[in-house]
Amino acid sequence: MSDSQVIITIGREYGSGGHAIAEELSKRLGLKFYDHNILDEVALEKGVDPETLRRYDEKPHKLFLSRSVKGHHSSAEVNVAYMQFDYLKKKAAQGESFIVVGRCAEGIFEGHPGLISIFILGNKEEKCKRVMELYHLSEQEALEKMRRHDEYRKRYHNNFCEDKWGDSRTYDLCINSSLKGLEVTTDVLEAYIRTRMDSGNKQ
Amino acid sequence: MIAKFLALAIFLVMFFFIVTEKFERHYVTLACGACMLVFVFGVCMRSPQAIFDTLNFHSIFTAEFWHAGAEATESSGGINWSTIIFIAGMMIMVEGMGKAGFFRWLCLKLAKLVDYKPVRIFVVFMLMAAFLSMFIDSITVILFLAAVTVELCQLLKCNPIPMILSEVFCANLGGSATMCGDPPNIIIGTSLHYAFSDFLTNTGLIAGISLIAVVIYFYICFHKQFAVKTGESTQPVHYPDPKEAITDPKLFGLSIGIFAIAVVLLITHANTGLTVAFIGMFVAVLTLIVHHAEITDLLKKVDYKTLLFFIGLFIVVGGLEQTGVLVLIADGISAICGSNAKLMVAVILWISAFASAFVDNIPFAATMIPVVQTLSQLQGVPLPTLAWTLSMGTDIGGSATPIGASANVVGISVASREGYPIGWGKYCKYCAPATIMVVAISMVCIYIRYF
Repeated sequence: MSDSQVIITIGREYGSGGHAIAEELSKRLGLKFYDHNILDEVALEKGVDPETLRRYDEKPHKLFLSRSVKGHHSSAEVNVAYMQFDYLKKKAAQGESFIVVGRCAEGIFEGHPGLISIFILGNKEEKCKRVMELYHLSEQEALEKMRRHDEYRKRYHNNFCEDKWGDSRTYDLCINSSLKGLEVTTDVLEAYIRTRMDSGNKQ
Repeated sequence: MIAKFLALAIFLVMFFFIVTEKFERHYVTLACGACMLVFVFGVCMRSPQAIFDTLNFHSIFTAEFWHAGAEATESSGGINWSTIIFIAGMMIMVEGMGKAGFFRWLCLKLAKLVDYKPVRIFVVFMLMAAFLSMFIDSITVILFLAAVTVELCQLLKCNPIPMILSEVFCANLGGSATMCGDPPNIIIGTSLHYAFSDFLTNTGLIAGISLIAVVIYFYICFHKQFAVKTGESTQPVHYPDPKEAITDPKLFGLSIGIFAIAVVLLITHANTGLTVAFIGMFVAVLTLIVHHAEITDLLKKVDYKTLLFFIGLFIVVGGLEQTGVLVLIADGISAICGSNAKLMVAVILWISAFASAFVDNIPFAATMIPVVQTLSQLQGVPLPTLAWTLSMGTDIGGSATPIGASANVVGISVASREGYPIGWGKYCKYCAPATIMVVAISMVCIYIRYF
């Protein structure tokens, strides 16, 4: 790993705009951006259909309907997750700097000197409003969608990582995007990341 | 009475934690085994003898443990050290074979022999999975076979999932044919003192008949997927050379030799009197001598977690046996079936198959052995009939679902990690009907042959 390598991981609550913020940060910082597009890359490498893999992306495995044997797992969700972890590890080993959304990345790269881990949360009302607008849903439907996705993300994350999803102790920085909006939140995060990068990302 | 309840509670807690995988399963069985020794045998029963019998260390230091005489009697109490030593020995032998490149070489050689035609590879790999699993644990067989299957399918531009599903099924079926093919059979064989040939001529025959039906079934299900499309080239640029799989020709030859010795010793052990514990130890020592430069590496590769899992499991089942809980289960089955032996066979076969489809068949089989012994004594049904029934039910039932057997998990995992995820729906669509078919064939075979 080069001294300048940086791996920015962004966990997010559903509707907080974390994904959009991460994407904007990658543009501003000129870093490669990874989200579910990892599966496109993996599918291309292996010559398989990415849609088949996406069905199992960032989903928790079913506790009583899956089993592991000597490091092998019967759950497609777990195996798809490991494919993405392996891909990210390979990229990190090649010295690439990048921003990754979700995928337990702060857990995978725990202890990595280039790691900057961020969690983006939001107020329920603002998140709901955003989800309603984005997906043209009623308030009830939006709240249900938020609840379901956050539950999935929590279970998915906590299955692979020792630290808990959304717990402030898991991340370097937690920020509420609802307070000042996505633009300002992105500015704050950019400044924070640049400070870390300028100081050689010393923790 | 308190001892019975406590033993049952410990057993249920163990099963719960094995299924949920909250902790590694060897920790679960060892902790539950320790609770059984301390609280059930120590506190409730105040019986040092029960602890002594369950730990069963003394059995290792008897001549019969290594060379069975005619006086060997049926017993299933406590830790089955024969099973543990045999499995450990086979693990070392298989590791040596893998290191020499045997499995990969065999897969590639067979694919080459059938001219890399997908349908032929599909059938040949099913037969190979069944044959190898008769002597080697199905996890190892599928680990190598599935990896080569994916590699070849990528070259042949066909979907590897049908092949992997059928290979996994046939590996489980092949495992049911012999005493050393599947852990439940090793436990049944060593506990009830059956020989390799006993299994081969009983469960082996049923497995052989079933294999024919299964190959036809999977061929009907999948052959269209391997049909060569008009105008599509089936000649990829470069197929892997089988010879490239061999890491060291000398070690390769010696590994095959040791495997052949193991097969001969197992087939003839009823005549020679050598026990499976002896055979396991013998092939392990031979492997370590041959691979003397890598002894530490080979010993490190032994799956100690599985061995510890077995030790803890045997203690917990020993607790159920000592406290009489298993007699209650046998009484319950007796009450349902009475002296109707055919009904008893049907109940044991289908319950074993159903249970094994969802929970680990090893603890299930270990628990059921004393139950079938008691049933045999209570109702006068020949013990071998019930033993073969239990063996087929537990071995075959595991094929029905993705979590039923270890080979299924490994096959699914290898396919998924290469970009071919296999969910419950896809797996059960093909394997559940095949399982029902084989269990039905087994029932008919048992009825025709033993009644």
